[in-house]
Amino acid sequence: MRVATFIVRRLAAGLFTWVVMLTLTFVVFWSIPQRPESFVYPNAPNPMPSFQLRTADRLLGFDRPKVDQYLDYLWHDLRFDFGHSWAGSSISPQQTLVKGPPVAPGLYSSLRRTLSLILGGAFFVLLLGIPLGTIAGSRVGSVADRTISIVTLVAVCLHPMILGLLLRSLFGHRLGWAPQTGYCPLGGTPGTSCTGVGAWAAHLALPWLTFALLFLALYTRMIRASVAETLPEDYVRTARAKGASEVRVLGRHVLPNAGLKVLTMIGMEIGTAIGVCIYLETVFGIGGLGQYAVFQLGGMGPLDLPVVLAIVTMLTLVVVIGNIVVDLLYAVLDPRAGLGPAARGEKSFAGGVI
Amino acid sequence: MGSSAAAGGHARPRGPWRLAWSRLRRDRWSYTSLLVLAAVVLACFAGGAIATHLSGHSGEDLFPYAANDNLRAVGPWTRVPNLNNAVSDAYGNIKAPPPGTRTTLLVLGADGPLGRDELIRLLDGGRTSLEIAIGGALVALLIGLPLGALAGYFGGLTDAVVSRVTEAIMAFPLLLFLIFASVRLGQGIRGVGWGWEIPAGVFEEALLIGAFTAFYPARLVRAQLLSLRHAEFVEAAEMVGASHPRVLRRHLIPHVVPSLLVWAGIAVGTNILLEVGLSFIGVGVQASVPSWGSLLSTTWGTFFQPQVYDSRLFTPWQTILPTAAIVITVVSLNQLSEGLRHAMAPWERS
Repeated sequence: MRVATFIVRRLAAGLFTWVVMLTLTFVVFWSIPQRPESFVYPNAPNPMPSFQLRTADRLLGFDRPKVDQYLDYLWHDLRFDFGHSWAGSSISPQQTLVKGPPVAPGLYSSLRRTLSLILGGAFFVLLLGIPLGTIAGSRVGSVADRTISIVTLVAVCLHPMILGLLLRSLFGHRLGWAPQTGYCPLGGTPGTSCTGVGAWAAHLALPWLTFALLFLALYTRMIRASVAETLPEDYVRTARAKGASEVRVLGRHVLPNAGLKVLTMIGMEIGTAIGVCIYLETVFGIGGLGQYAVFQLGGMGPLDLPVVLAIVTMLTLVVVIGNIVVDLLYAVLDPRAGLGPAARGEKSFAGGVI
Repeated sequence: MGSSAAAGGHARPRGPWRLAWSRLRRDRWSYTSLLVLAAVVLACFAGGAIATHLSGHSGEDLFPYAANDNLRAVGPWTRVPNLNNAVSDAYGNIKAPPPGTRTTLLVLGADGPLGRDELIRLLDGGRTSLEIAIGGALVALLIGLPLGALAGYFGGLTDAVVSRVTEAIMAFPLLLFLIFASVRLGQGIRGVGWGWEIPAGVFEEALLIGAFTAFYPARLVRAQLLSLRHAEFVEAAEMVGASHPRVLRRHLIPHVVPSLLVWAGIAVGTNILLEVGLSFIGVGVQASVPSWGSLLSTTWGTFFQPQVYDSRLFTPWQTILPTAAIVITVVSLNQLSEGLRHAMAPWERS
């Protein structure tokens, strides 16, 4: 299959996922009891007088047919036109709607924070997991192997929140090696100590470490199994017989096998990684997409539909694009497999990842 | 007939379950974790009552003198005045307990400013957590098994629709669904509970966790049935006139049981951690109901009301003890699940 065809097909599948999720959100919004009109009249008495209800319904567009509203949101969100949030809106003296703040800036800012956390964390998972897995896999049953297995296993069975809080109070509070909370944008904030890549990385150091420890067990174990399975193969012996160095044998002949399995697992875990980010963003005060979503969905007040739909759209986009990238990489690493949904295994582990 | 064959010098054939059991017995780590789990379950379901009987107080009893002026709880093995109300003077200042007050032993110290017995709350909390975790797995099985069996056995359009929709939903963080559902939909059944054995909130959490994790057993069953659907033994059964329900029940579902057992171990472990997460988010069981999650969130606060950890206000024991309980249980569940996988299908490399 050609690359372009493949990408188009996967995007179409992603579009389906997106439509399903948006429809679900819309149905849920209309089926739970709530008063979104109170966004427009925050100080209205309860129950709200009917003239205020009618005005608010007209201003928020609830008096239109539901199908119209649904298609309208679908069409706007498809073009990433997320509109204005309902929270913060009010009514002008001329009885027109003063819109709330636009949704997009806050959404993109929190997305950048979450992506910084996930991508950096994934890098550290590989940075720690590949050497540890290789050491464990080339000496199966040794003390090093046992130690690595036990330490990573305990780390994954801790709750993300506990692990994050423990690391924060140890390295951040007691030792003062890294800032405990907060986030510095990559570009820096003028007039503060938040400048440049250094501050960005320093503030993310502990979240990255926590993220890496949580996912480490899975990948270390996978690489260990693959290395242990590949080392006795004939072609590895041949490579050694040719006089290849140990680094070359491992790097060129043994590890690429593990790479495939690791890649499929990464593809599967993008959604769960965002779930883990909810905890880590809370612990380290990062203010990312997960935290944003929990604030919008977990509160008791009425749902801010434009914001919720924007969040759902963004989450779908991250998951779909992440999966396409993983599948493309898979095809590069294993030309036999070709392009297509990579053979997906099932997660065989409790912990860390929820 | 089996005994006569054995008497004739032939080894008596052993069934797959006995074989799996003897393999599990030989697997040192998995067998140990099975024993550890049995001990944990026994301690959690019976330990609270026994400890209450022995110590003379329950996990609900307050001992204000078990916390100091900063409300920092006492550590393990402390004797505290056996008073449920602090004695204060006319200005509200807390006075020393009257002379001659008897003391009572808090084996693992107190759980926080209220000064409840940490050991009993840990044991009772373990019961709550295990009830939620096991209940969640059972609900997931009740929903997932029929769904997966229908999709895998009959296939076709239903299968396609169900698969696509579950894939779409599975791509999203499960936690967001759970938080949303427990805030918006769980209100009506939040109070459902039966006495102290099943505290209020357990039923709701088990139901929600089960409903949102039912995709995993459904996919598992569907995949296995798809591969077995056209096996010879199934076709043979159909040829002699077995009905669909009979083929499913007698010939197909038994094949799925081993992988469902492996899944169940993982699911219970994941559910324990999910319960902790829900308590941290603030949508779990009520703070007065002990569970491993609510014990931790007593110290660390919740998503909407985070607390700043201050070593003058909290003892590390309040974190260490529930964490240790969670880690021991989840590690054992992981190891047992791994052991079961090898014991029941040793020919499969994972």
